[in-house]
Formats: sequence, structure tokens, C-alpha cells
Amino acid sequence: MLKYALVMLTGTFIASCSQIILKKAAEKEYPSKIAEYMNPMVIGAYFFFFGASLCSVLGYKVVPLSIGPILEATGYIWVAILGKIFLSEKISKKKALGLVIIIVGIIVAAMGA
Amino acid sequence: MKKENIKWFIILHIIIVIISASSIIAKAAGKYPFLSFKWILLYGCVVAILGFYAIAWQQVIKHLPLIVAYANKAVTTIWGLVWGLMITHEQITLQKVIGAAIVIVGVYFVVSGDEDVSGKSEEKIEEVKNNA
Repeated sequence: MLKYALVMLTGTFIASCSQIILKKAAEKEYPSKIAEYMNPMVIGAYFFFFGASLCSVLGYKVVPLSIGPILEATGYIWVAILGKIFLSEKISKKKALGLVIIIVGIIVAAMGA
Repeated sequence: MKKENIKWFIILHIIIVIISASSIIAKAAGKYPFLSFKWILLYGCVVAILGFYAIAWQQVIKHLPLIVAYANKAVTTIWGLVWGLMITHEQITLQKVIGAAIVIVGVYFVVSGDEDVSGKSEEKIEEVKNNA
């Protein structure tokens, strides 16, 4: 199961990357509404998102339905880390505590899988 | 809570159930060979649900605070347990239930700990909504 869980976790990481790209793209100025969506960054982000959903489907081949959403909660962790690196977003103490709590929850749930 | 907010809160949870149910379809796809007709069909359904979710989510966050929407989204972990029990007859251990509950608490801390969405600045909330 570990292999498939890693595929699913990779998908969550890819989805988080796509969110960061979308956020970066949203910060830019565009000449038209169409250009807001039809630009390399947004198209690339949705391509990533498509890849992430593929990882999720592949992962669910073995990962139990009861564990999948718990693993996908790692997205919050990736978005926080990537947001700090690429968007200079702050991680408050409360948020950092929340991230640790999520990790603890995932470990607890995985022990019962 | 205002009547309008209750309506959007219910809509939010309907959307959460739908997005959560997409995992059942993903699980079903796993029964078929990769890139077989049925696999592609089921994967197409998953992508279609994700598309619906993206549009529906935008509408929800127009009417509900982002923190409420994101914090409630964490209940997908509970739905995962329900689907596992009902659909694939998985063993729901105490650790899984406790783990899911801990994750929900963690998600609440993450979203409420984010200054940009915690209500400190209405302008920033609008910005986040527009960029989500």
C-alpha cells in the first residue's frame, strides 16, 4: 500500500504546486479577461491539476477510501510551505501548530489503516 | 445565522459530499485496467466532478467567509470514513476516527491562523477570494 499512498501524496503535492502557480498568475495584470485564463501559467497550472487527479485515481487502486482524504490533507502543509517559499506568505504560530496537528492526525490514522 | 447563510452553508456541504463522493468513482476506476474504456470513462467523471467543484466553490466563497468554507471542507475526512464503511466495507478503526478528528482540528488551526483569511482585513479577504 505504501507505493500507492506515495503516488497519492505526490498527487497532493502536484495539486498544491498548481495552486501556487494559479495564485502567481492571479497576481499579474492581463490585457483581457480571456488572457487571464488563456496564458501559459494558468494552462500549466491546470495541466498540473489534471496530473494530480490522475495520481489520486491511481492511488485509490489500493489506498482505502477511509484513508485517501486524510492523506490529501497534506495539501494544507504543501500550500503553506510553497506559499512561504514562492509567495513570501507568513506562517503564523497558530498555522504552524495546525500543520503539526495535521501531521499527527495523518500518522494516527495511518497506524489504524 | 441568517437564512441566506444557512442556504449557502447547506449548499457548501452538498458540494463537499459530491467532491468526497468522487473518491468512490476514483476507487471504482482502480478496478479496471489503466486506460481501458471503463477506466477512461470513470476518470472522466472524476475530472468532471472536479470541474463542477471548481465552479461551485467560487460561488460558495462569494457568500460565505473563506475560513468557514475551508474549515468545513475538512469534513471530507469523515465522509471518507463513511464511504469506506458503506461502499468498500473497510474496517473503521478507532485510530482512523481519531486521526480524522485530529486532522479536522489541524485544518481549523491552519485556516484560522492565516491572517489573510481570518477577518483582519476585508480588502485582503476580497483579494484571496478573487485569487482562489
